[in-house]
Amino acid sequence: MKKLVLSQMIVRNLLDRIAHIMQRILLHVFLMAFGFVMLMPFLWMVTTSLKPRELVRSAPHLIPTHFHWQNYVIALNAAPFGKYYLNTIIVVLGIVISQLLLSSLAGYAFARLRFPGKNIIFLILLSTMMMPYYITLIPSYLIIRTLGLVNTHLGLILPFLVSAFGIFLFRQYYIGFPKDLEDKALIDGCSRLQIWLYIYLPLSKPCLAALGTFAFLFAWNSFLWPLVITTDPDMWTIQLGLAMFSGKYGTEWTYLMAGTTISVIPAIALFMIFQKYYIKHLALSARLR
Amino acid sequence: MNDETKAAVVCIAPSAIIIGIFTIFPIFCSFYLSLTDWDGLSPTINFVGFSNYSELINSEAFWNSIKVTLCYAMGVSIISVILGLILASLINRTTGPLASLYRVIYFIPVVTSFVAAAVVWRSLFSPAGFLSDSFRSIGFSPPNWLADPIWALPALILVGVWNRLGFNTVISLAALQSIPRAYYERAKIDGAGPLSRFFFVTVPLMKPIILLLFVMSIVDAFLIFDLAYVMTGGGPLGATNVVGLLLYKSAFRYYKMGFASAIGVMVFAILLLLTLLQMRLFKFGKEV
Amino acid sequence: MARVLIKNLVKRFGKIIAVNNLNLEVKDGEFLVILGPSGCGKTTTLRCIAGLETPDEGEIWIGETLVNDLPPKDRDIAMVFQTYALYPHMTVYDNLAFPLKMRKIPKQEIDVKVKKVAQMLGIRELLDRKPMQLSGGQQQRVALGSAIVREPKLFLMDEPLSNIDAKLRVYMRAEIKKLQKDLGVTTIYVTHDQIEAMAIADRIAVMNKGSLQQVSSPDELYDNPATSFVAGFIGSPPMNLIDCSLIEKDGKLFLDAGEFTINISDLRDILETTRMGSEIVLGIRPEDIIILQRGFKGKEDFNANIYTIEPLGLETIVTVKKGNKLLRIRAPRDFRANINEEVGVLLNKQKIYLFDAKTGKRLYI
Repeated sequence: MKKLVLSQMIVRNLLDRIAHIMQRILLHVFLMAFGFVMLMPFLWMVTTSLKPRELVRSAPHLIPTHFHWQNYVIALNAAPFGKYYLNTIIVVLGIVISQLLLSSLAGYAFARLRFPGKNIIFLILLSTMMMPYYITLIPSYLIIRTLGLVNTHLGLILPFLVSAFGIFLFRQYYIGFPKDLEDKALIDGCSRLQIWLYIYLPLSKPCLAALGTFAFLFAWNSFLWPLVITTDPDMWTIQLGLAMFSGKYGTEWTYLMAGTTISVIPAIALFMIFQKYYIKHLALSARLR
Repeated sequence: MNDETKAAVVCIAPSAIIIGIFTIFPIFCSFYLSLTDWDGLSPTINFVGFSNYSELINSEAFWNSIKVTLCYAMGVSIISVILGLILASLINRTTGPLASLYRVIYFIPVVTSFVAAAVVWRSLFSPAGFLSDSFRSIGFSPPNWLADPIWALPALILVGVWNRLGFNTVISLAALQSIPRAYYERAKIDGAGPLSRFFFVTVPLMKPIILLLFVMSIVDAFLIFDLAYVMTGGGPLGATNVVGLLLYKSAFRYYKMGFASAIGVMVFAILLLLTLLQMRLFKFGKEV
Repeated sequence: MARVLIKNLVKRFGKIIAVNNLNLEVKDGEFLVILGPSGCGKTTTLRCIAGLETPDEGEIWIGETLVNDLPPKDRDIAMVFQTYALYPHMTVYDNLAFPLKMRKIPKQEIDVKVKKVAQMLGIRELLDRKPMQLSGGQQQRVALGSAIVREPKLFLMDEPLSNIDAKLRVYMRAEIKKLQKDLGVTTIYVTHDQIEAMAIADRIAVMNKGSLQQVSSPDELYDNPATSFVAGFIGSPPMNLIDCSLIEKDGKLFLDAGEFTINISDLRDILETTRMGSEIVLGIRPEDIIILQRGFKGKEDFNANIYTIEPLGLETIVTVKKGNKLLRIRAPRDFRANINEEVGVLLNKQKIYLFDAKTGKRLYI
């Protein structure tokens, strides 16, 4: 009698285990498949960019037989992507470096210094995070125009030199630093600004990576502001250039996809490199809202 | 002024100045301009009171664009939040390093610019594109998606969801991972199966995050511009003429800066209302 | 080398008075410990001396200089923190060199000084490591080194050994004491651990609730506490403090503790100016009480029951209970008794301390 029950238990245990494993496998299969679906546009984009024109609509749609790199050469010649890249890189560098510096500096002040009006100013700052372009676009354009900075790199950079979100991020990050560190630095002979430079900034690497990625993506993917500010095709940034390129070559998918691939790679590459910091900080900042 | 205050000034002044010039000042400037009929070019600015606003309120085009934008925002938000939660739950049930991989994979569309997304998806949606071809291969005859006033907006919503989903998934996942296992273990002991656990443990605990994601998604979706500009240009027949496009065209194509500013102010007010409304619901949800 | 003078120091945080009119002088080259429970104001006092807090009232002198308006870096001081406060992104070498770098001392000279201090503290081999890779004791040494390398007039130490495990702590405090003697730098050391204070200090300043209770050498504090707080704080196990009132019976003076009375006629002189019925606190150290067992009738001050017995190896701590009062007594290591056994308690009248119950002040002749 007992032996029977025992073997029943063993079999049941085994079946449970198998069901468990099957469940796991099914889960992964589904998630993988869904991931594939999500990335499918990119797959199509890259493979189309490598097909010769005639084969674009042939089945199987997704797999080219050999790589037709000429598409890229033609795309690069049809529109000055090199120039677009250069413009965008200048603008992106300006925005990212400035935002990192100013956000870190201001974040330090809000986290550590005592001064009158601190809370009010911070609250005002926070509220500006939520201002949509609807209300800031036209006046910003008018200001840039008045300053004579239309069609200039500076005009593209200026409104975005600082990010309220960045200041918020750094403040939260710095608040967690041990207070003893500053006391020691003050006694060692540092001024408040030197404390920021020699101690806080060097210890900010994760936050710099997160905000840097965020700022880079914002600047790289920016379309509306460059559209408004630049009328000279020589000053176009990559997204603007791509949009205009697609307007002109709408149905030449192979070249179009080549151009798109070129536009998209830096953003994805940067994201892949820094995704650890970026995603972690994203989650944190959403929780804090 | 003591040392700390002096240092604070140095640290904050540059940021404060930029934000003051390009965010705070524009708020007042927009309000002011909305009360004028300025075209952005002439040296004189005429004050016209609220006539821009009355024109807007009576404008069918304006309300159409609000409707379109609202539909888009609702569509993207509801779908991407719910889907994101489901995906996050599934990812949460896996163990091992693959969870990070899924996070990254789903997030890649998020970091893609809307311009690039629009270009690619426009090709996919074209009559000769992948989607239409696939439909034909299984025997259906597909509409001309982006040229069809019924299908154009849903097509935009699809792209919007595709772009947003990864973000909502990642945030939901982070929130899910912070739910103590003890709750699930207790539910298991009490006899709840996986679906029951989802509805009676996960969902109630996730309520604040769900609401937050929803608010964030709606506000973010309301800002749509690049996608509509590149993918459909606002057509066909105004089916995708989101209010961002309306503002842009008014200001920079028709040179009606005053009128465009009024649009901006109206939309800002609508967004504020939407946010406040949802915060009310949020509080209501919290009590429940 | 400098003396430190604190005059009428007051520091408030909102409504709370953290330091209440403190007057203290630290002699040149002295190792002074500020001792007290948490919240007594000792750390606030130290931070005011360092310049990390601004006094609301009072003066602080370091050497011949009034330092009230000087920032910390101009006061020629060095500080060691409870959490070590080592810069995590710098190597040990850079941590030691940093204060010198800030003072624009030439690289050569920095190198010499850093190596010398590292040698002195036995951390020469650790110069390339980062703080994260060091043990607690090593980190503390680096913290000390970072203070020593400055060659300041004054060392300030804020509970530097509190984060170190007990065994290492005993070793480190001897090291610190020796170091201070060798360097001869005036040192102000803050702690809540009275054993630590007794072990290392030249003098101890006992603080409670923002006020200075007494400043004396460890022996003085132990044998001659000026207040009931000091009496109960110094010494382990602590002095027994019993609330009594003064009564007279048959021409003899007694302290009435409720459950028992003690004949203190010998202490008549001390109590000359004290009224009858006054509330007095009786203080007696555990080592000054004798337990009488078996056939002791007549010799004892009162009876009590054994409450607990704690054999500690070297000695035995016995707690006796009378009514709701507990008394701790140091007994010889071979002491044997049963719980609840009735014993006699005899106090050494020569070693009785009397305190005014209201003010806590010691009653003297």
